[in-house]
Amino acid sequence: MTTIEHEVLDLNNPAPELPPSSSLTARGVSAWFGDHKVLERVNLDMPAGEVTALIGPSGCGKSTFLRILNRMHELVPSATLSGTIALDGDDIYRGDIPVTEMRRRIGMVFQKPNPFPAMTVSENVIAGLKLSGVKATKSDRRDLVESCLQRAGLWNEVKNRLGAAGGALSGGQQQRLCIARALAVKPSVLLMDEPCSALDPTSTRRIEETIAEIAHEVTIVIVTHNMQQAHRVSNTAAFFLAGEGEPGHIVESGDTETLFTNPADPRTLDYVNGRFG
Amino acid sequence: MPNLTTPDIATTNIEMTAVPDLIETEQRIGLRSIDPTAVFAVVGAAFGAMAFVWLLFTQFTAAGTNIGMFVVWYLVFITMIWVIGREQYDPVRARDLVARVVFWSAGLIIVVPMIAIATYTIAKGVTALTPNFFFQDQSRVGPLSPARVGGASQAIVGTLEQVAIAAIISVPLGILVAIYLNEVGGRLARVVRTIVDAMSAIPSIVAGLFIFASFILAFGGQLSGFAAGLALAVLMLPTVTRTTEVVLRLVPGGLREAGLALGATEWSTTRHVVLPTARSGIVTAVILGVARVIGETAPLLLTTLGAVSMNWSPFEGKQSALPLYVYRLFQLPQEVAIQRAWTGALVLLILVFVLFVTARIIGGRGPGHISRFRRARLAREGLA
Amino acid sequence: MQVIDPSIALEGTTPIEEERVRPVTRRTGADRAFRLTTFGAGTLTLVLMGVIGLFLLVRSWSAISAAGLSFFTTSAWQPDGGAFGIAAVLLGTFLIAFVALGFAVPLAAGGALFITDYAPSKIKTPLVWLVDLLAAVPSLIYGLWGRAYLQPKIIPISEWISTHLGFIPFLKAKPGAGFAASTFIAGVVVALMVLPICTAVMREVFSQAPAGEKEGALALGGTRWGVVRDVVLPFGRGGMVGASMLGLGRALGETIAVTLIISPTFDITRLTHPLETGGNSIASLIALRFSESSSFGISALMAAGLALFVITLLVNAVASLVVSRSRSGASTEI
Ligand SMILES: Nc1ncnc2c1ncn2[C@@H]1O[C@H](COP(=O)(O)OP(=O)(O)O)[C@@H](O)[C@H]1O
Ligand SMILES: [Mg+2]
Repeated sequence: MTTIEHEVLDLNNPAPELPPSSSLTARGVSAWFGDHKVLERVNLDMPAGEVTALIGPSGCGKSTFLRILNRMHELVPSATLSGTIALDGDDIYRGDIPVTEMRRRIGMVFQKPNPFPAMTVSENVIAGLKLSGVKATKSDRRDLVESCLQRAGLWNEVKNRLGAAGGALSGGQQQRLCIARALAVKPSVLLMDEPCSALDPTSTRRIEETIAEIAHEVTIVIVTHNMQQAHRVSNTAAFFLAGEGEPGHIVESGDTETLFTNPADPRTLDYVNGRFG
Repeated sequence: MPNLTTPDIATTNIEMTAVPDLIETEQRIGLRSIDPTAVFAVVGAAFGAMAFVWLLFTQFTAAGTNIGMFVVWYLVFITMIWVIGREQYDPVRARDLVARVVFWSAGLIIVVPMIAIATYTIAKGVTALTPNFFFQDQSRVGPLSPARVGGASQAIVGTLEQVAIAAIISVPLGILVAIYLNEVGGRLARVVRTIVDAMSAIPSIVAGLFIFASFILAFGGQLSGFAAGLALAVLMLPTVTRTTEVVLRLVPGGLREAGLALGATEWSTTRHVVLPTARSGIVTAVILGVARVIGETAPLLLTTLGAVSMNWSPFEGKQSALPLYVYRLFQLPQEVAIQRAWTGALVLLILVFVLFVTARIIGGRGPGHISRFRRARLAREGLA
Repeated sequence: MQVIDPSIALEGTTPIEEERVRPVTRRTGADRAFRLTTFGAGTLTLVLMGVIGLFLLVRSWSAISAAGLSFFTTSAWQPDGGAFGIAAVLLGTFLIAFVALGFAVPLAAGGALFITDYAPSKIKTPLVWLVDLLAAVPSLIYGLWGRAYLQPKIIPISEWISTHLGFIPFLKAKPGAGFAASTFIAGVVVALMVLPICTAVMREVFSQAPAGEKEGALALGGTRWGVVRDVVLPFGRGGMVGASMLGLGRALGETIAVTLIISPTFDITRLTHPLETGGNSIASLIALRFSESSSFGISALMAAGLALFVITLLVNAVASLVVSRSRSGASTEI
């Protein structure tokens, strides 16, 4: 079992030296799968404590970009990249912080809800502790379960079913469980890749409320195909586009309200109004 | 009797009624209804063929055997179905009807050996199945003792120990290899997979020869239960590896990514996410591996020869084993010895059956099955 | 509002050269140990396979060098008294296996098609279970049952075939030769033993026949048999060959059931009359002679075992190749 000492997860000592949330900066980020270039020099600022929405048609590299942000990109054997990603000014690819530590600081919620099926609801929430071999007292664990489920807006629904299997919840509950699980390792950034695309409208609303509630304590980067959702939840937005057979790039980025109402590029206007993509 | 026809909706006359009160009386169309013509064809052919066989065997040829008569009957039966089908429908549907009957017969024939083997073994083995079969050995048994005297305790203990040794070696190794193939990978993985496949084809007697050549001749080990366990481990390894690999492959990749995205190491993700998710499948793999080797006889002939009295130690001296016990006694001339052999065979069959059913029950459980023990622990911690 | 032209990166970096890197994942000590351990386990299986061949070769060397090429042409087995070779036992091994496949392959194909395309859905799962259970029944029990129950039932059939089909030379039994303990009976018992494994593999293959094509054929007014003949069988052809080869591998290596049934003979003429009493196989030769052999005799048996090992590996390799090359094989496990 690995025991990695790092302060972020020390429950008794909630890491005062770290800011509650961090900024992410991408500069000149390009990505390849084999020799297929899928991202072209992306520059984007994702300010601390804000919600940044990534929009754009399918296949333009949003997920790839998101996975570069927490070093999941390199799990694909043929994947390469260039450029820099800075978390509060430190390049996450070149610093001497191990990749596991980096991923803990930059959490991720996936498109398809994926609670661990062999774990109960409560075990799912504290899975991050178990997976990184962090010891915690019984009461700390209990408190963590409750607070994370509260923040993910799930506590009232599952407080009597903590011992049920994670897979026994509904799709929307599962996704909020995944958010609670990600929050439990106290990340300073949370990446969400189309977290609502597999959910019904009601569950989608609950997730949006959750995002609004946690936005002030953790920086959020969310990919969504739902324009209203992007408009509702984000402060900043970036529009990705890939030409025919070309890598994806950012057409335009900045304040959400401006991007949606008065964009500089006509393609952005077309896209946010549903005229293509 | 199966329904022998394809549903023929076109000929069903549907009355269109728009009267709402009549809705309760709506009639469902029987989509799988039995076509009387086909039933007639099959039943008629069966009796016709029977008559033919009776004529052939009693009137024209002198001797007949049960199976021979059956074979002739079946051939005539099929031909007659075909002829009747042609008369009643057309050649295409006649062939379809014949194919149906042939495939149903093949399905039946697969079932027959299991029933025959099970009933025969039970009938032969049950007479000498007494408690002392499990608690006494053969040391006091003379050539004329009745079958109910003495038992196979030395063989049962030997088999349990030998299979345990095989499992202790091949289960961890097999699971590690499966993890290598599915979780770690690399350039060598394909070669390893091919070799594991090839290994599952090794004849069991060759596994025995190998252990004799290596453990006994080259390293000076003795003929013992341990040597037998080694040989069984060679046979068990590919079963455990391949079955485990299949169940690991069923674990969704998204779970591994979720683990890694929480900042876990690969080892930790495998240990806490992948393996628990595949747990029931892995248990099944182990049980099937045990079932695969528990009745193996050939390798034991070369590694532990057998013994009539109890030898608790697998490391020193020859040990008996249930398959060896059965094999040896079956070849003795005495009727009682053969009876004992059948009892041993029955116990083996029961063991395999129980292992198999257990494997299926456990394997059928989803990953969300939370044991009572675990639930209680979680409740103590206030997490459930 | 910030509009970014992809060809112009910020902060004046020249857009021409990009430093393309594969990120270095620094693994923790635990992960390096994890990778190393599992890699070691994988390598160990490779080594084990090599070591099996090596030990058999080393131990059989004295016999092989003494016999030379005559090892493949001699049919007698008298390692201590002169000549020994695998000509007869090898022939016997293949004869039993061919008889077995002759029965098992058509039955397995029929049974597998029954399970995938004909059986009512209610009995499908129990049938699949049953086939798997049959595969787990020890060969010892097949042998016992074959000798005690099946053999007396088959002898009259052998007799009948010999009398009525005796115009085919190898089916004619010599007068007075007897029909018990024959290659034919051993073959039938081995057929029942390889039946489940063949059925299981073929079922797996047939069940992957494209549902779209099957429905298409039905929609065109085809009968069920038409679907099986035009879609399922062509699709599963490679898998059927692979399953048969797999069964062949099992049949060649089967020891105890064959040993329990045949009465060993090294006489080629008797071997080539499968209905007559007398048969042989490499595996049963080893099982029967091992405990009474001198050390040179054991070396000779090791050589026979090595030959069996090589043959089964070859058969299995060809089986895997055929299955993986076929259309149905891409996603099939054998
Ligand atoms: N694992 C992979 N291997 C190869 N190509 C990939 C892989 N994942 C994504 N791609 C390719 O990268 C491009 C961008 O995909 P993605 O980032 O998933 O787009 P988006 O999330 O915007 O729909 C697509 O053309 C896709 O085919
Ligand atoms: Mg995507």
